[in-house]
Amino acid sequence: MDILVSILREAIAPTTAAFALAAIGLNFHFGMTGLLNMGQAGFMLLGMYGYAITAREGGPIWLGVLVAIALAVVFAVVLGWPTLKLRGDYLAIVTIAAAEMIRYVGRSQNLNSLTGASTGIRGNEFKGSFEMLSPFPDRMVEFGPIALHGSQSTSWWLALVGWSLVGLMVLLFWRLSRSPWGRVLKGVREDEDAVRSLGKNVYSYKMQALVIGGAIGALAGIVWALGASVQPDSMGRPTTFWIWTLLLLGGAATVFGPVLGSILFWCALVFVKGVASAVIPDTVLNTQQLEPFSLTLVGVTLMCLVIFRPQGILGDKKELAFHD
Amino acid sequence: MTKRIDRRAVMRAVIVFVLAVAAFSALSTLGSTAAAADATDVATSVVAADAVNSDTVTADAAVDEEDAGGTTGLGTNRIAQNVFNGIVFGLLLALASVGLSLIYGTTGLSNFAHGEQVSLGAMLAYFFATQEPVSIPLVPVEFTIGWPLWLASIAAIAVAGATGWLQDRFMWAKLRKRGVKTVQQMIVSIGFSLALLNFLQWWIGPDRLRVSTAIEERKQIGPIQLGDTTTMSIGIAVVALLAVGYFLLRTRLGRATRAVSDNPALAAASGIKVDGIIRLVWVMATSLAALGGILLALYDSGTKFDTGAKLLLLMFAAVTLGGLGQPFGALVGSLVIGVVVETSTLWLGPDLKYATALAILILVLLVRPQGILGRAERVG
Repeated sequence: MDILVSILREAIAPTTAAFALAAIGLNFHFGMTGLLNMGQAGFMLLGMYGYAITAREGGPIWLGVLVAIALAVVFAVVLGWPTLKLRGDYLAIVTIAAAEMIRYVGRSQNLNSLTGASTGIRGNEFKGSFEMLSPFPDRMVEFGPIALHGSQSTSWWLALVGWSLVGLMVLLFWRLSRSPWGRVLKGVREDEDAVRSLGKNVYSYKMQALVIGGAIGALAGIVWALGASVQPDSMGRPTTFWIWTLLLLGGAATVFGPVLGSILFWCALVFVKGVASAVIPDTVLNTQQLEPFSLTLVGVTLMCLVIFRPQGILGDKKELAFHD
Repeated sequence: MTKRIDRRAVMRAVIVFVLAVAAFSALSTLGSTAAAADATDVATSVVAADAVNSDTVTADAAVDEEDAGGTTGLGTNRIAQNVFNGIVFGLLLALASVGLSLIYGTTGLSNFAHGEQVSLGAMLAYFFATQEPVSIPLVPVEFTIGWPLWLASIAAIAVAGATGWLQDRFMWAKLRKRGVKTVQQMIVSIGFSLALLNFLQWWIGPDRLRVSTAIEERKQIGPIQLGDTTTMSIGIAVVALLAVGYFLLRTRLGRATRAVSDNPALAAASGIKVDGIIRLVWVMATSLAALGGILLALYDSGTKFDTGAKLLLLMFAAVTLGGLGQPFGALVGSLVIGVVVETSTLWLGPDLKYATALAILILVLLVRPQGILGRAERVG
C-alpha cells in the first residue's frame, strides 16, 4: 500500500513535470525534426543558472525566466549555427560535448562566486520570491493519501505551476505540429532533400526547432531547480539519456508521449525500488545498491525500446524519426 | 582532397570559438571582481569549495595530486613535465580510442559504451587482484581472489575481450542482420553504456579503488620525473600499439580488416568474411580498452566506476581529430588530446582540463569534420 502511495506521489511530483517538459523540448528536436540532440541536460542547466542567479541577485521572477530562456536561445543558436549542416551523429557528439562543457565551466573554481562551482547554488538563495507567491498555506497539506508541503521546495504550488507549464507546452506542441510550419519540420525529418527542393530553407527550420526545444528545456531546468537546487553534476550525461529513454518510452513525435513517458519512467523507478527492497533480501541487494540496480534496468529498457519498439507506447511506426 | 575547406565553415567556427572564449573570460572576470569585493571571505570559501571538490571528484583530485606532486616535488621544468605527462596520458588514451576507431571504421557505429569498457577492464583487474573480499551481484557469497597483478590483468583483459565477443555475437551482429540504422544502434549503445555504468557501480561500489597498493618511487630523468610503474605502462602501451600496427599493416587478417573498413560490400564480394572480421574487431577493441583501463588505473594510482565514462568524450575527440575510422589517426589524435589536456593546466584550472579537449572536438568538427588524416567526404 505504501508503494502505491509513493508511486502516486511520484506521478504528480514536480520532478516528473520537469522531465516531461524537457522531453517535450526534445520532442521538438527529435520527434518533429529528427535532430539528435544529446545535450538537453545542458539546456536545462543553463536555464537553472539563468533563473537562480537572477533571483539570487534580487531580480524578479519574470526577469529570471526571461534570462533563462535567453541563455538557452543563445546556446541553441551558437550550437546550431555551425553544426546543423552536419550529419546526425556528428550533431549528437557536438551537442553532448557542448553540454558537458557547460557543466565543466559551471563547476569550475574560476566561477565560484557566480555559479557556486561544484557545490552549486543552494535552494534557499533563490527560491524565496517564487515561494512567496504561493496561494497554498505554509505547512504540510494532505490531499487524499498524498502529503506535500504547501509552498516550499517540492510543493503543491510547484506541482501546480510545473504541470500547468506541461499542459501549455503540450498544447503548443499539438498546435504547432498540425500547423504548416510543423508539416515542414516533419518533412525535414522524413527527407531533407525533398523539402529543400520545394524551396524551403531547411537550415532555418532546423534552427527554429532547436531554439524552441532548447527554450522549453530551460523552463524544465527552472522547474527542476525550484524543486531541488542548482547542482551542475545532477545535469550530466545520464540526465540526457534518461530524457531520451522516457521520450522513446512514451513515443517520439506524439503529443502525449513525453508526458506519459515521464510519469511511467519515474513511477516505474519507484515501483522497482519499492518491490526490490521488499522482496529481495538485504544480503543480496542492500539499499546502497538499489539505486544503481534500478538505473541498470533503465539502461536495459532503453536498449530494448530502441531495438524492439522504437515507436514507443503511443507512437506510430510510420512516424519514426531514425534516419541516417 | 583538393577541395579546400569551406571558408564559411571556418568563419563560423572561429566566430563561435571567439564568442565562447569572450563569454567565458567575461564570466571569469565577473566572478573574480565579485570575489574581490569581500576578499576575506574568498579564501575561506575557496578552501571550503576545494574540500567539497576533492570529495566529489576524487578521480580529478587524484590527477591534481599528481600535478601538485610534480610542482612541489622539484619538477625542475613544469612545461616539460606536463608535456611528458600528456604524452603518457595520450598513449594510454590511444589504447582505448584505437578500438573505438576500429569499430567505427568497420561498422559505422559511434559506440558510446566504449568508455564503460575501459572502466570494466580496471574494475575486473581490481576484482581479481584485490586482497579485500569481493562478491558477484545477486550472489550473497564473499570470497577473496587476490591474484598477483600480472595474472589479474591478463584475466581481466581476457574477460573484457569475451564481453566484446558476446556483445557482437548476441547483440550487434543481430542488429546488423536486421538492418537497424546506425543512428538507432548508437542509441542502443547509449542504453548499454547506461546499463554497464550502473552495473559497475552496483557491483564494485561507488568508492575510488587502488588496483595496486604498491607505492612507486619517482626518479628524476633530465627535466622530468617518472616512476617505475609509469615506465612499465609506457612500455606495455607502446608494445600493444606497435602490435596493433603490425597486425593492421602486415598480416592477412589486418589487411582484411582495413578492406572491410574501406568498403564492406566490396570486401564481402572479394571473399572476406565480413562478420568474422567485425567480431575480431570487437574482441580487439574491448581487450585494448581493458588494457588501457588497467594501465590508466595504475598511472593515476586509482580508479572508479565512472573513470571510463569521463574519458569517453576525450576518446571521441581523439578519434574525430585523427579522422573517424582511421586507427592511426586515433593514435595521433590521442597524443594531441593528451598533451593539450595536460598542458592546459598551466593556464586554466585543473577542473577545466577536460573542457579544453571538448573545445578541440567541437572546433575540429566545425572546421575539418574528416579529421587530420581522414578523407574528405560529405558529412551533412
